[in-house]
Amino acid sequence: MSYIDLKSAPKREDRLKACIAHGGSVCDLGGKGKKSCLVDDGERGFTQGSICLLLPALAMLNTLPDNVVLMHSAIGCGTCTHSQNANVRFGGNVRWGKVKDGTWLSTALNETDVISGGDAKLEQAIIEADKRYQPFSISVVSGCVPGIIGDDIDTVVKQVQPLVNAKLLPVHCEGFKTKIWATAYDAVYHSIGRTLLESTTSEKGAGEGGDAGLAPYQGLERLPRTVNLMNVSSMGRIDELELTRLLTGLGLAVNVFPVFAHPEGMVTATQAALSISTCPTHDDYFLTYLEERFGVPYLLKHMPIGIENTGLWLRDVARHFGAEEQGEEIIRREEAELHAALAEFRPLFTGKTVFVSAGEFRALATARLLEELGFRVVGIRSFHHDAFAEGEYEKLAASAVEDYPIDIANVQPFEEVNLLKRVKPDLFLGHANGNATAAKLGIPTHVIYNTGLAYIGYRGAYDLARRLARQRKNPSYNRRLAENLRLPYTDDWYQSPPFSYINTRGGVTA
Amino acid sequence: MSEHFIERSRYLCALGGAAATVTAIPGAIPILHSASGCAGNFAWTQNGGSALQVGGYCGALTTPSSNIQEHEVVFGGDERLREQVASTLKVMAGELFVVLTGCVPEIIGDDIKSVVAEFSSEGAPIIGAETGGFRGNSYWGYDLVLQALFRDVVAKSSTTESTEVNLWGIAPYGDPFWRGNLEGVRRHLEQLGLRVNSFFTTRDTLDGIRQAGSAALNIVVSEVYGLGAAALAAERHGIPYLSLPLPIGPTATAAFLRAVAHKLDLSGPTVEAVIAREKSDYFKLLEPLTDCWNDLDLQRYAIVVGDANYAGALTRFLADDLGWLPELTVCTDPLQEEEQQRLVSGLSDLDSGYEANLVFETDASQVIHHLRKKWPAGNGGTYHNTFSPAFVVGSSLERELAQTLGAGHLSVSFPVANRAVIDRGYTGFRGGLRLTEDLISSIVAGR
Ligand code: SF4
Repeated sequence: MSYIDLKSAPKREDRLKACIAHGGSVCDLGGKGKKSCLVDDGERGFTQGSICLLLPALAMLNTLPDNVVLMHSAIGCGTCTHSQNANVRFGGNVRWGKVKDGTWLSTALNETDVISGGDAKLEQAIIEADKRYQPFSISVVSGCVPGIIGDDIDTVVKQVQPLVNAKLLPVHCEGFKTKIWATAYDAVYHSIGRTLLESTTSEKGAGEGGDAGLAPYQGLERLPRTVNLMNVSSMGRIDELELTRLLTGLGLAVNVFPVFAHPEGMVTATQAALSISTCPTHDDYFLTYLEERFGVPYLLKHMPIGIENTGLWLRDVARHFGAEEQGEEIIRREEAELHAALAEFRPLFTGKTVFVSAGEFRALATARLLEELGFRVVGIRSFHHDAFAEGEYEKLAASAVEDYPIDIANVQPFEEVNLLKRVKPDLFLGHANGNATAAKLGIPTHVIYNTGLAYIGYRGAYDLARRLARQRKNPSYNRRLAENLRLPYTDDWYQSPPFSYINTRGGVTA
Repeated sequence: MSEHFIERSRYLCALGGAAATVTAIPGAIPILHSASGCAGNFAWTQNGGSALQVGGYCGALTTPSSNIQEHEVVFGGDERLREQVASTLKVMAGELFVVLTGCVPEIIGDDIKSVVAEFSSEGAPIIGAETGGFRGNSYWGYDLVLQALFRDVVAKSSTTESTEVNLWGIAPYGDPFWRGNLEGVRRHLEQLGLRVNSFFTTRDTLDGIRQAGSAALNIVVSEVYGLGAAALAAERHGIPYLSLPLPIGPTATAAFLRAVAHKLDLSGPTVEAVIAREKSDYFKLLEPLTDCWNDLDLQRYAIVVGDANYAGALTRFLADDLGWLPELTVCTDPLQEEEQQRLVSGLSDLDSGYEANLVFETDASQVIHHLRKKWPAGNGGTYHNTFSPAFVVGSSLERELAQTLGAGHLSVSFPVANRAVIDRGYTGFRGGLRLTEDLISSIVAGR
């Protein structure tokens, strides 16, 4: 039985042995005597709030056109959509020239519902949402509360489906159940697979491909030059266009999936000749499924952030289609042009130190890019760790001049502030809502992820360099903050070793 | 309005409101006892709804949180909370620590009260509030934190200072203009010779909050938010309270100041002198707009969409001072019957005599249907008295409505995704001028 046959996707700490609490160094994780934290993930005795899988899941679901997101939880879960809505508006505009707000609802479970159960309310909510908005699909997303009071969204969905026109996508996002928020991608993909790509009539669930099970959905044709370009919302349109430009250079047609894809057309993904991941952290669950169920092979190794990495990524695709020479030609041409263009920035960056923080793969790939631009990496925080990243740590360990700290942490700015005070970098790159600490220390900062900005491919490398030159040219905003504000940590904490609280939960000491 | 769901809610859960409120208390550190995602969810919400204000001294992803998981759901989370509080006291520098509970620990029955008591009995400056998300929305969470302050931080006072008042009713971050709005009211109260504790402005201190028990009056500039705390303060500290609408512009502010002066028995001349001076300034400043006001025909039909504070306050200002025509007012909060009654009667007797039309509707997509009841769509004929020229004063979620109507638009009530607000405020006399500037500026932006 594959994972897709289960009601919900397994959590990543089980499936991949992923972890979130480790204090190590680049030589630790990528060097000769490398040790992995996969086996003995410790817990922190002090923690700061973070995100849960619900947030990235909603970031994907809210982009789907003609889809209504129905949260089943207390009223607060999912209000994060207020910021994601900016991406929905902007993303819709750059793709279709139309600005439209997402539609998200909440069953807003209250005290009575907590006691008597929320299933009936959910049932009515689905029926009413179907009537009011007449969407193609409704994603029914559960937060923590139903997970504890024992509501069963799958059963409700099953019962209500015959009564409504919209396709119902149950998505499990009970935050307390997994500490690895990357489980979100699996949860959404799981539901897309089960609801939109599997035949509802066939028990086998493999469409009309029959026993072979390796044909596209319900007898659709294979599209020999079409590739799935996976985007779970970590790239904006500008990045999609950059990769599409490179892939069309190889004579391929590109199907961007799943953000901003209409649910009705999602079956196209089963027809593709190849699926190409832009980040192994995001896509392994779904790409394995597409291959197993529909015979779509996949590439899942490199992230096209950085000059070398983009080349590696493109080369793999070219090889798959026997277009090695074309690929090499593109890479040669692009690199020559890019290196020439980067020349004016290099003197500004050479020897400057940088600390990078983001989801694991992105952090590591961006760190490599920064090295290519001339920076020296002096610290990395990865939001979690799993085996996919080992190759990236090896690359960084090989290029490191000196060993430096790697903090595996689901944000935890208290560790970051402690590290930053020690390593005093010249530049900090952090995720959304993750730059304020460094900023208040007066360090020039730049956001490592924003769907309105370019990061990916050759264009991303150039644009990032331009933006960093700008940040370094006048970091007065941060400098003035640092002169006038204090961070909320005790002096004692700054004196303590940065990883003091790892492995201390429940009184266990490391 | 649906009975089964809320569309794009314009508030968070009780925990979200409580966390934002604690972040706004000077020197305070919130400690969430909840699953790991809640803090990040709030940070993203503020990012999208609070006019670009996220966190503060200790907020957003800096907030300590017990991040409980399945293990605690099965075995209970008290131990984990104990450990988290102990470590927080070592790592975080704060003058007041406030433990706030989320859905998960409350449903599994964690006993936070006794954990908090263990630490406070050892002298730690720590209090707690039960703010599980299913208990209510962020405005209720705001109220719960104020209640906790009056219960456990504000010292009992044997004396009453006749010129001291406490001021609240505006939820930090829930009202993107919270700082400016509090300061606007505070300024006028100070003109009356009062000393004001307003909890959350840069001029407030934790000491000031501790001494709030000696105030002669609690002034709540809301007909809904913070009234639980007002009742609790009356009972525990014997401080009477006055619940008044959020005062925007000259008419509402004058009424507000008179009500306060009356309640405090302040001698007449002072309040009238303050009002007279402010009014004179207001109209002198407004005077030069008059030519363009007429030349550009700047009067508008209006739809007001806002929370329980703004729905009435904006309508009142548009009708009584600006001379616009607020034909429809939509309050987007889910309110109790008697709260609704209060708001309705507050708008029933406007100074200008304008007849307000207040409806309660949580869902943005339904506003147009309410409008059409009074103002049907054009019939295609040559002559038709349409709802035009029109303006929508609401949240950023009303942009689509404004577009449908071909109306102007300004975001004031949460969510405000498309403006940056630092300390701008619309309360008081000057606030009326700020609002006039912003409304008119948005009309003439393409000029
Ligand atoms: S799903 Fe759970 S952890 Fe996530 S925001 Fe909701 S209550 Fe918090």
